[in-house]
Amino acid sequence: MAEDISPHVSEPHVLDRPWQVWSTVAVLGVVLSGILLGVLIIPIVQGRGAGLDAYTAICRALGLLPGSPAQPQPSDRTPPTPVSQVIWTPEVLQILARADVQRGYAKVQEVCVSCHGETGVSMSPDFPHLAGQSGAAIYKQLYDYRTGSRVHPLMTDIAKALDEPVIADVAAYYAGQPQRNPKPVTLAESPPEIVRLVELGDPRRNIPPCAACHRAGAGGPIETPVLAEQREEYIIQQLKIYASGQRHNDVYARMRTVASRLTDDEIAGLAAYYRAGFR
Amino acid sequence: MRNVERLCLAHFWVAFAAFLVAAVLGTWQMWVRSPLGANVGTPGHYFMSVTAHGVSMAYVLTTFFIMGFGYFVAVTALDRPLPGKPLAWAAYWLGLLGVVLAVIPIATGHASVLFTFYPPLTGSPWFYIGLVLVVAASWVWCVLMMVAMTQWKRENPGKPVPLAMFATVANAVMWLWTTVGVAAELLFQVIPAALGLVQTIDVGLARTLFSWTLHAIVYFWLIPAYIAFYTLVPRAAGGRLYSDTMGRLTFILFLIYSLPVGMHHLLMDPEHGNATKFIQVLLTAFVSVPTLLTIFTITASFEIAGRLRGGKGVLGWIGALPWERPMVLAAGLAFVMLGFGGFGGIVNMGYGMNAMVHNTAWVTAHFHLIFGGSVVIMYFAIAYEIWPRLTGREHISLMPLRLQLWLWFIGMIVMTFPWHWLGLQGQWRRVANFNYADPIIAGWGPWVVVSLGGGVILLISALLFVWNLAALHRGPAVALARPLYALAVHPPQRVPAALNGFGFWNVLVLVLMVLAYGFPIAQFVIEPSPSAIVHRVQ
Repeated sequence: MAEDISPHVSEPHVLDRPWQVWSTVAVLGVVLSGILLGVLIIPIVQGRGAGLDAYTAICRALGLLPGSPAQPQPSDRTPPTPVSQVIWTPEVLQILARADVQRGYAKVQEVCVSCHGETGVSMSPDFPHLAGQSGAAIYKQLYDYRTGSRVHPLMTDIAKALDEPVIADVAAYYAGQPQRNPKPVTLAESPPEIVRLVELGDPRRNIPPCAACHRAGAGGPIETPVLAEQREEYIIQQLKIYASGQRHNDVYARMRTVASRLTDDEIAGLAAYYRAGFR
Repeated sequence: MRNVERLCLAHFWVAFAAFLVAAVLGTWQMWVRSPLGANVGTPGHYFMSVTAHGVSMAYVLTTFFIMGFGYFVAVTALDRPLPGKPLAWAAYWLGLLGVVLAVIPIATGHASVLFTFYPPLTGSPWFYIGLVLVVAASWVWCVLMMVAMTQWKRENPGKPVPLAMFATVANAVMWLWTTVGVAAELLFQVIPAALGLVQTIDVGLARTLFSWTLHAIVYFWLIPAYIAFYTLVPRAAGGRLYSDTMGRLTFILFLIYSLPVGMHHLLMDPEHGNATKFIQVLLTAFVSVPTLLTIFTITASFEIAGRLRGGKGVLGWIGALPWERPMVLAAGLAFVMLGFGGFGGIVNMGYGMNAMVHNTAWVTAHFHLIFGGSVVIMYFAIAYEIWPRLTGREHISLMPLRLQLWLWFIGMIVMTFPWHWLGLQGQWRRVANFNYADPIIAGWGPWVVVSLGGGVILLISALLFVWNLAALHRGPAVALARPLYALAVHPPQRVPAALNGFGFWNVLVLVLMVLAYGFPIAQFVIEPSPSAIVHRVQ
């Protein structure tokens, strides 16, 4: 091409045509062969290996149908068996964000106060403290009681009597109460194996660290409850009914899996650790 | 010099001031993530620092440097006054205002969203508005570059545009295309969310629009280095450019292939099918072509220079090159870093291999080696080359310049090689700290300390760089007579219009972008995906 552009040969506009033609051919050739390979040939060949017809494989490759063209993935039509009916859609989060604390307080005075206390500090070891609990966590549990995903002799009926915005109001009210630290202890007083379980988990038993979700800002699921300063007896009770499968409203069976792998001593140690107020 | 010295220097000093701040922050980040500085500062401080480091290095250093260098090229390569100089100054102040607007929310912790934004995270609207102003300033620059070239072509009908200016305008045209993606993301999605006008954001669409910008922006940063390779390096080495046509072809290929490839940043994203990812990965493979052309052409130009200087034998010409000159040394070191970084990039480009390194320090190592290494070292060399022309003063000694370049090279290698290794071991990126009490992570500790050593060397080099430039303002005044730009072995007399302008290539880019991004973007309109809740960083 260096010779082509010497001064004697021709005017620039005459030289221009082959450049335009051949570069268009080259560039479009590359893209079109990419489309041919990526959209048609590879999906069809992969789909054949996975027992998919050509049309399904191509739609999967384009993202029009879910799944990979290379794998015979289970169809979406398998009936789901959700452990909870709560879905964190933007609408639900809007309901939470618009909750009315005053209305929540009124409902608390009417219904919740006898067991959970006016400020969310419960009087009995059977009932959890709710002060400073995450609003999303309270919301999910009340909703689960309402839909039967979680069952409790008292709470099921109470929750069924509340409608969705009121649930959010109550959750927002308790979430806004300050947490208490009735019995502060220092980190050094916790047994090292419990601290280890909280911070590192136990990879040999496939137990993830508690703090991976239950620490503020850890980035766990939105419904993760705050455990700091919770009643020791309540934590023990809940871990045990998770372990036995009696409570089963944890998404992906996260807590059932973890709790079933913990020993009784570990459960007691963790409950004591969290009662003390480590966040 | 046509009276643009102050304009160029004003741009360069903003660029290098941001660079210095970012270098200090980068070293601090490495320290707090190492076993030596563990538990210093909070994750909030860390992400604030990462945001400031990324914004300074990727947006402020680059944009202001490229604008300043562009103005310099427009007057020196075309040898005519800069058109619209008052507009250029207005753009400078607009960009500076944007930097100030963006820095305030970063420094007060209201914009710790990193320079790549990551919606549904949103920070203060001022952060985004500030960055939009920086981009708007660069758009003014793009227009001025195109006007300068058009006016020159009108005054010199039929003559080939000097390669340095041709490449600068290629970069300006590419940048206009490039910024469409991020501008759409910011103006229609992120800024409304940051202002509280909307409560949800389609993350898939936002990431797709950002990917439109994300690869080509790197070429926007890279092209000044390539301009130096083609037009300054052969001259500094005492030879000639092997092929002017190859240069034009390279910059045209950058314009075409750097845009429809951004989806290789989304290989792990669920919102796109395998087919569209495949097409863009295939196109990505072609981005290596202009780089391979450049390595060939510049090596050939080096050989010409080496042989002219008496180099004999198959490789004897390498030793005969004037390595004591900063531009030649920097080009050599940049090629080494480009080699390692390029091979790392080929790993990232492969769908399967990327899956193994995607969110690890490997990727951080790759872009620091390519951008922080090859590109920035050429920014240094360009600054050293043109500073005497801007100040009318000469370096007293080249020794501190060479020392600075060597320190940058050594620091970058010492920092990024352990990162590659740690990435292969699974060390994740974008995290504030590591728990070195964990036995697996404890094994990473020594390598993290080694890379911190590289970071410290880089900081020393950064300080020395600014010192070298500042010292030149007090150097002896001289009248420089040596030519700046390299001649080609066969200087072009006439070139086809296709190699002398961008009208035709813009049509081709449009067609390519429609084919590569048309369906991936249209699918969000055809079937809107679930939106995410806006998460405001406060």
